[in-house]
Amino acid sequence: MLNKFLSVLHPWLIKTLGRDRLEYLASNTINEVTSQLDPFIWTYSCKAKVIDIRQETADTKTFVLLPNQHFSTPIAGQHIELQINTSAETSASRCYTLSEITQDTVSITVKLNPEGEVSPWLHHQAEVGTVFDISLPRGKFVHRDQEKLLFICAGSGITPAFSMMGNVVKKSNDPQIGLFYRTPTPENTIFSQQLSKLESDNKDVRIELSYSRLPVDIVTPSCMDQLIAAFPDIKQQHVYLCGPELFRNDVIQYLESIDFNMDNLDIEQFTLPDLTLQPGRVLDEDVSVTLRSQNISFVIPANDCDKTLLEAAEQQGIVMEHGCRSGMCGSCKTNLVSGEVSGNKIGRSIYPCTAYPASNQIVLE
Amino acid sequence: MAYSMNQSASNDDYEKIHQAFENIKQKYRNDLGEKDVRYIKKIRRNSRIFEVIGRSLIHILPGPFALIGVPFLFLHRNLEAIEIGHNVLHGQYDSFDEIPQFHAKNFRWKAPVDETAWRQEHNAVHHVHTNVYEKDPDLNHGFLRVNSQVPHVKLHYFQVPIYLFLFYPFMLYNFNAQNLGVVDKFRKKYFPEGNKGYAVLDKELRLSKAEGMKRHKRAVRRVWAKEYVFFPLLALLTGFGAIKVFLANLLADVLNSYWIALTIQATHFTEPLQPEDAIKNKGKWYISQLDSSVNFKGNRWQSILWGHLNYQVEHHLFPDIPAHRYPDMALEVQQVCKEYNLPYKCNPSWRVAIKKFVGAMWTYSFKNPTVPVQAAFLDKEVGSAK
Repeated sequence: MLNKFLSVLHPWLIKTLGRDRLEYLASNTINEVTSQLDPFIWTYSCKAKVIDIRQETADTKTFVLLPNQHFSTPIAGQHIELQINTSAETSASRCYTLSEITQDTVSITVKLNPEGEVSPWLHHQAEVGTVFDISLPRGKFVHRDQEKLLFICAGSGITPAFSMMGNVVKKSNDPQIGLFYRTPTPENTIFSQQLSKLESDNKDVRIELSYSRLPVDIVTPSCMDQLIAAFPDIKQQHVYLCGPELFRNDVIQYLESIDFNMDNLDIEQFTLPDLTLQPGRVLDEDVSVTLRSQNISFVIPANDCDKTLLEAAEQQGIVMEHGCRSGMCGSCKTNLVSGEVSGNKIGRSIYPCTAYPASNQIVLE
Repeated sequence: MAYSMNQSASNDDYEKIHQAFENIKQKYRNDLGEKDVRYIKKIRRNSRIFEVIGRSLIHILPGPFALIGVPFLFLHRNLEAIEIGHNVLHGQYDSFDEIPQFHAKNFRWKAPVDETAWRQEHNAVHHVHTNVYEKDPDLNHGFLRVNSQVPHVKLHYFQVPIYLFLFYPFMLYNFNAQNLGVVDKFRKKYFPEGNKGYAVLDKELRLSKAEGMKRHKRAVRRVWAKEYVFFPLLALLTGFGAIKVFLANLLADVLNSYWIALTIQATHFTEPLQPEDAIKNKGKWYISQLDSSVNFKGNRWQSILWGHLNYQVEHHLFPDIPAHRYPDMALEVQQVCKEYNLPYKCNPSWRVAIKKFVGAMWTYSFKNPTVPVQAAFLDKEVGSAK
C-alpha cells in the first residue's frame, strides 16, 4: 500500500517541484522520523528507483530510472556509476552510459554478462521499485554542437550514441547524423526498432549496420570497407567512437591510415572503476581526483604530486572551498570516499590545503 | 596595541609555540570518538524534548499563560542555533561517518542563515583574519565602529541604540545581509568613504543579485513557514489561539537572536587589531588568535547555552575540534600561555563582558573618543594596521 503510494508520489514530486525545490524541502525536513518514513527522498545520498524495465534483445534490458533530488541534469553521452549491495556487507559498482534522458528520468541499457557481478543482479534481482545508489552524471563524451556527426560504435557502445542522437534530433531541425553500428546479428541488435524509426523519420539520418557473427556462408565485406563504403565523406564529419577496446583500436588505426583529422575524433574514455585499488602511489603515475559534491574530475600530473590537493586543484583551474591554507580553520575539510591521502587528516576527514595525494585514485565528497 | 613578543624572540620561539598548540590539537584529535557522537546526539535529543514541551505549552495554555512555554522553545532554538548549528557548520563532527546529519555540508540550520555563505564568511574569513582591519567582517557586523580607524559617519552617533534595540533583536536575520554582500552595497552607496574601514566580500564569492536573493529567501522562509505559518495555523485548526502562538514564537525568536548577539559580540571587538600577515607565519597566527579573543567565565551548563563561545580563545585556536572539549582544552592552553608568557584573556562574567563591549560601542560612536583610563582594554593603536 505504502509502496504503491510512494511509486506515484515520487515521480509526481520530482515533476511538479523539480529537483532544486525538492532538495530545499527535503534537506530542511530530514530527521529520524522522515528518513525512516521515506528513505528515497529524505536521504543525503543520490539514489535512483527503477520505474520501468524493457527487454531490448534476448540478453539486453533497458532500465528506466527515477533519480532523487540529489541528481543533476545529465548531458546526452554522459554515464553514471551505479552501486548495488550484492550481499549485506559487500557492494559492487559499474558505470553505465545513459541511453535515454528525459526531464525527470534516465535510462541505462545493460547487456547480461553471466560472469559479471552487477549485470546479473540487474537482470535477475532488480524489479520495478528497486532503489540503489548512483553517482551524479559524469563524462566528457558529449555532443558539443558539431554539425555533421558520425557515430561509430560496437556492441553496448551504442548507448551514448543513441542518447546523443535522440538529443540532436530533438534540438535541431535538420540533423546530419550517421551511425555505423557493429553488432553480432540482427536479432542481437540493441535498439533495432528505435533506430529504424529514427532513420525513417529523419531524412538526414543514415544508419549502417554491420554484423560480426553472421553464418559463415554469407560473404560480408570487411568491417572497415563497409564503413568507408557507407560513409565516403567520413573526413568531413566529427566522429564519436565507442565500443570494446579491440574495436576502438581497429577504427583508430583505420582513421590514421586515411589521414583523418584526429581533432575531429571523440573517443569514449570509459573505463570501469579501479576496484583493485593499490595502497600507496607509484611515483611516476598521475593521480585522478574526483570531487563528488561538485561532480568534477581532474588529473594531477605525476610531477605535481608534491603539491597539496588544494594547490593541485587550483592548478587545474578548479575552485575548492578553502580559508587559511595552513590547516587551521577547517574551511576546506572534506571527507574521503575512496583512495588515500597523506598529511593533515582525521580518519576519513581530510584537509585538502595541507594534504597530499597518496594513491592513484582519490574520490572526495 | 597588538601583542608582540619581546624583541629577542626568534623564529625558534615561534616554532616552539606553534608546536605547543599543535600538540594540544593533535591530542584531542586522537581522542575524537564515541564520546563526541554521543554528546551531539544527546544535545539534539534534548533540543527536541524542549521543542515538544515548549510548543505544546504554547499551543494549549490560554492567553498569557502560554508564556510558560516560551523558555522551552527558546532553549530549543538556542541549542539548534549555536551548540549544534554553529559548531556543526565548523565541521567539528565531519569525521564521524555514522552521523551524516551533523556533517557541515549536509546540515541545515533551524536559523534564517544561508549555510554555504556562512561557512565562507565565518570559517574561511573571520576565523582566518580575526580582528584584522578591513579583513574581518565580524569587526563591523554591518556598520559598527569599534576602533578609531574606521571613518566616522553620522550614523555612528546612534550605533548603541540602533544595535541594542533594532539589530540585536533580529541579529540572526542580519547575517545573510553580511554574508551575501548586501551590507557592502549599502555602505558603498550611503557612506562618504564607502567601504573604507570595512571588510568586503571577496570578489570570487560574490553572487548574482538573483542567486543571493534566492538563498536569502530560502533561508528565512523555512523558519517563518514553521514558526509563523505552520504552528499558528495548527493552533487555529485545532481550536486554539493562532495569534497567541504567533506572538509566543516571535518572542522566542527575538530572545534567541538577542542571546546570540550578546554572546558573540562580547568576545572580540574589545580586543586589539591584528596584523594581516599572521596567518602566513608559524606560531604568529596562534598568538594573534590568542590576542584577538577573550573568554568569559561560566559553568558547563551555561557554556552549552552559549554554544561554548565563552571559550572563544579555545574556539579560535581550534575551530574544528568539538566545542564541548573546550573547557578541558582551556586548562592546557592556559598552561602553554603561562609557559611562554602569552596573553590569555578572560572576563569574570558575561555581565562584565557585555558592559565592556557596549562601552566600546559607546566610546567609538564619537568621532574623537577620549579613552578613559579604566578602559585600558580599548587601547588600540592606529599604527597596528595599515
